Amino acid sequence: MEARYTLVLLRHGESHYTQKNLFCGFGNDADLSDIGVREAALAGQRILKAGLEFDLAFTSVLKRAVKTLFLVQETLDCHWLPVVRTWRLNERHYGDLQGLSKTETAKKYGEAQVKTWRRSYDVRPPVLDKKDPRFCSSMAPYRDLDPSIIPVCESLKDTMERMLPFWHDEIAPKIKTGKRVLIIAHGNSLRGLMKYLKRLSDEEITKLEIPQAIPLVLELSENLQPIRDYYLASEEEVKTAKAKVGVKDNVK
Amino acid sequence: MATGYSVVLVRHAQSEFNRDKIYTGWCDSDLTSDGVEEAKNAGKILCEYGFEFDLAFTSVLKRAIKTLYFIQDELDCHWIPVTKTWLLNERHSGKLQGRSKVEVLEQYGQEQVHRWNHALHEQPPPLAETDEHWNGNDKRYAGLPFAPVGESLQQTLQRSLQFWHNLVVPALKAGQKPLICGHGCYLRNLLKHLDSNCSTGKKQLETPNAAPFVLHLDSDMRPANLQFLNRHGNDIVLFKRSRDS
Repeated sequence: MEARYTLVLLRHGESHYTQKNLFCGFGNDADLSDIGVREAALAGQRILKAGLEFDLAFTSVLKRAVKTLFLVQETLDCHWLPVVRTWRLNERHYGDLQGLSKTETAKKYGEAQVKTWRRSYDVRPPVLDKKDPRFCSSMAPYRDLDPSIIPVCESLKDTMERMLPFWHDEIAPKIKTGKRVLIIAHGNSLRGLMKYLKRLSDEEITKLEIPQAIPLVLELSENLQPIRDYYLASEEEVKTAKAKVGVKDNVK
Repeated sequence: MATGYSVVLVRHAQSEFNRDKIYTGWCDSDLTSDGVEEAKNAGKILCEYGFEFDLAFTSVLKRAIKTLYFIQDELDCHWIPVTKTWLLNERHSGKLQGRSKVEVLEQYGQEQVHRWNHALHEQPPPLAETDEHWNGNDKRYAGLPFAPVGESLQQTLQRSLQFWHNLVVPALKAGQKPLICGHGCYLRNLLKHLDSNCSTGKKQLETPNAAPFVLHLDSDMRPANLQFLNRHGNDIVLFKRSRDS
């Protein structure tokens, strides 16, 4: 099968929450750390070196992704690109775990439970109470949304259910008109997209890690099926990056 | 009683061509480091005044896009939709683009330069396709309805008013609070062209780099009041419509 389209996915650079090993997720608008800023610029360099160009970019409403995109655009000198922001590309909602330390949570609930919450397909983390100040309905980006669709916790399956309509309605049609698309988003919104595009099983997806700030190129068929996918980095760089944010067992 | 509308506008911060006094037009000159600080200060001013925005409009030129980014950073509103449109570009200065303002003045004389700046239909000398500053092959202008050889003041105003009526007015009527980050030419002439009865007493509004101003409109979308926001609270109100006019 011949590749018809090229799509580039990029997980945002390191945020302050990554640095502190905290559950960030949907409701925390963590900024990029200084390392994250450098990582984003380097991601831009990798894309530039690969000679890739874009017509359109999609990102979430979380600044760690929006700012990663800005830094990539700075390197590629394409600030003029139309950019569509959507909450549907936001990171997965980690429920009551949001803002908590991953290490402390593992001590409290056990490593196995935390691994299940982080990487299983359909297990939800503890629910966030709607009265909790961390509930997003009063936050500016979500104020106009029907509160019933604002998540209080999500499994990866839930994340995919709110992300995929945007893929089908907004992104896929643009790719099919020949627009070269860049998506800058988050670990789980991108894992969800990869599960869908590559038809990964519920078991296979638990093993997939997406490193921060390393561009992932997908060559797609006419029907948007990935024929090839590869990172714009060496195997060693990808492994190191995955080890930084991934679940230990998944990165050997 | 309808209370009217307000929209915040700001000219981009200092670009390299601004600093070097070069005709910029559609050349994609970057911000200087002073310009970056100016843009952040504009954001700080808007933050101190408690402004919040639902959406933003800017041109496809990086000096405006980046000014907006730094303002958004200060206001912590990177989430707002941003529409970029060539309709908000600076006036295309034709063959003058990339040339020193001093040299152009010497070559063409004060009277001609004055006509270019103020006469509605005066065209700058046309830019050739072979010129290093030719934009015609730039992807961002694919589908442009004319060849980018240069614009009169009238042409610039016509397209910026097209933007105003097609994008800003509907947003205001929907109750949204827009932020517009644009360029000197149409911002200087905005008031007069929204309502020819408006006057600040001068021929054109002065729009320094990165100095945000608020345009208040009445319920009929006529300019009612225009104020430049000042860090120290002494805003400069340049225009105020009397109730009877």
